Amino acid sequence: MGPQLSWYLALSAILFTIGAVGVIIKRNVIAMFMCIELMLNAVNLTFVAFSSYFQDVTGQLFVFIVMTVAAAEAAVGLGIIIAIFRNRETLDVDDASIMKL
Amino acid sequence: MSTLLFIVFAGMAIGCAIAMVSQTNPLYSAISLIGVFISLASIYVTLAAPFIAAVQVIVYAGAIMVLVIFVIMLLNVEHAEPRRRRLKFLVPLAVGMAGILLAETAFILYSVQSTPDRLAGNISNVGLTRSIGVGLFTGYLLPFEVTSVLLLMAIVGAMSLARRSTVLSSNARVVPGVQVLAMDIVNPRAVGDLRPVQTETTAEAAHLLGVDFQTDQNQPE
Repeated sequence: MGPQLSWYLALSAILFTIGAVGVIIKRNVIAMFMCIELMLNAVNLTFVAFSSYFQDVTGQLFVFIVMTVAAAEAAVGLGIIIAIFRNRETLDVDDASIMKL
Repeated sequence: MSTLLFIVFAGMAIGCAIAMVSQTNPLYSAISLIGVFISLASIYVTLAAPFIAAVQVIVYAGAIMVLVIFVIMLLNVEHAEPRRRRLKFLVPLAVGMAGILLAETAFILYSVQSTPDRLAGNISNVGLTRSIGVGLFTGYLLPFEVTSVLLLMAIVGAMSLARRSTVLSSNARVVPGVQVLAMDIVNPRAVGDLRPVQTETTAEAAHLLGVDFQTDQNQPE
C-alpha cells in the first residue's frame, strides 16, 4: 500500500502552518517573503496531490499558473524590498509601517 | 517503497521548513528553503507529475531563489537587532495566533483520515508534458494569456520600483561654468559632509545626482 491522499494533505497543512508561523514571527522582510513562498508551495502540493488522485490534469495547470504568479511576485516584491532598503536603511518591517516610501 | 520515499522526502521538507523559520541569518534561511523546494519536487515525481517537478526545480529553486539570494547579498543584511520596547505586546498575540493555526492543522490532520484510498492506481499520462500543454493551450488558453500580461506588468513594475527615485526640483538649474556642490546635496546619506564636488555642465550635475536630464527645451519652466 502506497502513501494515501491524506498523507499529502497532512504534509501540505504542516508546511503551510510553518510558513504562516514564520510570517507572523519574522521581522526581516526577506525572511517573511520566503515564508510566503513556502505557503505557496504547500498549496501547490495540495493541487498536485488532488490532480494525481482524481487523474485530472487541471490541478497541475493551476500549479503552473501559481508558479508564474510566484515568479512575478518575486520580481515585484524584491523590487519593493530594495526600494524600502534604499529609503530607510533597514529591512525591519516595524520600521516600514507607513505607506509613503 | 513509495511509502518509504514519501516519508524520507516529507521529513526532509518539514525539517528544512523548520530550519528556515528558526534561522536568523537570511542566507541560511534561503538555502533551507531550496531544500524544501527540492524535496517537494521529489514528492511531485512520486506523484507521477514529472513536468511540474522539473518546473519546480527550474523556476523555484533556480530563478526565484537566485533572485532572493542576489537581493540578500546585495543588501548585505546584518543579524536582527533586538526588538524595541514599543512592540513587545505583539509577542503573546503572535504566539496565540500560531496556536490557533496549529489547532487548525491538527483539525485538518484529524479530519482527512476518512478520505478513501484511490491514489494513482493505474498508469496514466496526466502528469506528462503533452497533456499539460494540451490543457494549457485549449481549455485554459485565457488564463495562460492573462499570465503573460501579468509577467509584463511585473517586469515594468520591478524596473520602475528598483530605479533610483531622486527627483530634482523643476526649478533647479545649473548655470554653465564650473559648479561646486556640497557632498550632502549629491548624496542624501552624507549629512553634513561639505566636501565639494565639482561639475562642469548641467548634464554632469544631473548624472551626479542620479536623475534624468532632459535636453529638450519644451519642458515647463
